Amino acid sequence: MTGLLNYQLINYVRSYRYIPPFSVYIMALIVNYTYIPNPTLDSYSFTSLVLFFIMGWFTITIFHAEDEGQKQITLLHCKSLREYYLALFIICALIGFCLSCIYVAYPIVIGAFGVETRLLHIIMGLLSHFSLSIVAIALSAIFTRELVKNKGNTWWGVLSILIISVAIASFKSTILQVKGLIWLLPPVHLSLEMLSSKDSIKFIPGLFYWQFGWIFLYGFLFIGLFFLLIKHRRTN
Amino acid sequence: MKIIMELQDITKQYREKIVLENTSFSIYANQVVALVGKNGSGKSTLLKIIGGLVKPDSGVVHKYIQPLKIGYVPEVTPSHILFTPEEYLTHMGNIRGMAKGQIQQRIDNLIETFNLQDARKTRIEHFSKGMKQKVAIMQAMLEETDLLILDEPLSGLDPISQSDLEGILLILKERGLSVVLTCHETKLLENIVDRVLLIKDHQVIQTSSLQGSVNKGNRFIFAIATETSLEELLPFIEIQQERHLNSGVNEIEATVNQEDTDKILLELLKRGASIKQLIPIHRVEEGFYNHF
Repeated sequence: MTGLLNYQLINYVRSYRYIPPFSVYIMALIVNYTYIPNPTLDSYSFTSLVLFFIMGWFTITIFHAEDEGQKQITLLHCKSLREYYLALFIICALIGFCLSCIYVAYPIVIGAFGVETRLLHIIMGLLSHFSLSIVAIALSAIFTRELVKNKGNTWWGVLSILIISVAIASFKSTILQVKGLIWLLPPVHLSLEMLSSKDSIKFIPGLFYWQFGWIFLYGFLFIGLFFLLIKHRRTN
Repeated sequence: MKIIMELQDITKQYREKIVLENTSFSIYANQVVALVGKNGSGKSTLLKIIGGLVKPDSGVVHKYIQPLKIGYVPEVTPSHILFTPEEYLTHMGNIRGMAKGQIQQRIDNLIETFNLQDARKTRIEHFSKGMKQKVAIMQAMLEETDLLILDEPLSGLDPISQSDLEGILLILKERGLSVVLTCHETKLLENIVDRVLLIKDHQVIQTSSLQGSVNKGNRFIFAIATETSLEELLPFIEIQQERHLNSGVNEIEATVNQEDTDKILLELLKRGASIKQLIPIHRVEEGFYNHF
């Protein structure tokens, strides 16, 4: 697995496909904190949403970085379809984690917040950024070339699912009328609701941990679905 | 001759479409086998079954060497590899789980065999298609290989690259490797293939050897003035095709027996003809190429 991770990471770096999403990531960071002071949790809410979309972009470029013909050869050498895609998911998650840390740390370092930053702000910031990254990775992977042959459909598919995920927050009351439906839809709205808490919040409610836990679990379930679909496609 | 693999009653279908049906044949040690047949006849599927990449719906694959080490070169040659051959092969070796020392020794060996010393530090994306194909074969031979499987190895290569690769395949054959390949290139079949397996109607129905074929005559193409009479030569040649070129010249494709070839060519030259091409005819090949 280490050999595969090393190869995929170097291949991705050499492909320069990370430059467009990374540029947008940096621009969003700098523009957002041009004026100070800023509210803490509100800012984190905004940047976690930006990261949600950017991680969709990163995921597609990571999954498509390897030459199509070479992918067949790499699969032959690693002898396991599961291991091959697991390596790609790990790289996506690593990048998601690093970018989450930067989005949380940068405003603290430059003193962009109006109130004193406490540990609970950092924890909530990290959890919201990283959990949304995982969901974005999981949802976007479903539209990569292994499952969607047409490149155009890949980009439209990813963009649509990510926009719908965010739009659910606005239509939540309507969605709740259909029993159980809310559990099937991407739980991005939970993160937005939690981060709409006041900066003066004294402690993180226990419910918040459950809700972050559900966002992570939802992402992992979708990654599981990806592996099931891949297996189904390969055997048919 | 030692059998290294035997396929018995192999059947494979994709979405109700039968690709192979009760196909049986053997692969021998130190032999180059060509799988031929029309597009969609199941050549690549059979290669993948031999390589263990696809499971047959029914039938058995017996391996008589344990473990039988198989290298596989897919039909699509990767074009954008962002590594040098050395880096690339090291990564593939690491992914395979090979030991570092073993990888380096093998890379040195392969680079020498495939004559890529000068390109050792150049990124593969800058290589010609022929060189990329060489790297594709090298990755399949990273570990000591008993059987090398090549899907259309010469496809899309220019004549020089084809000759170069053909030389490499000959070297591998001399080193005792068994090779199974699919191909359309007649030259490769003539020069290195020991046995030809034809896939027709979902089965391997014909086994023949091209190297044992006998030269029965020659096919030749010549250009000659339209008004020149060929009547005296007609008993000795068989005209296959005749085309009128622009400037009162006909281009004729004909066949002639081996023993009459020199005499006929001389007569044609005396009549002012220009010989464009002369190709030996192998009877086995003649019937065989009709299957492409």
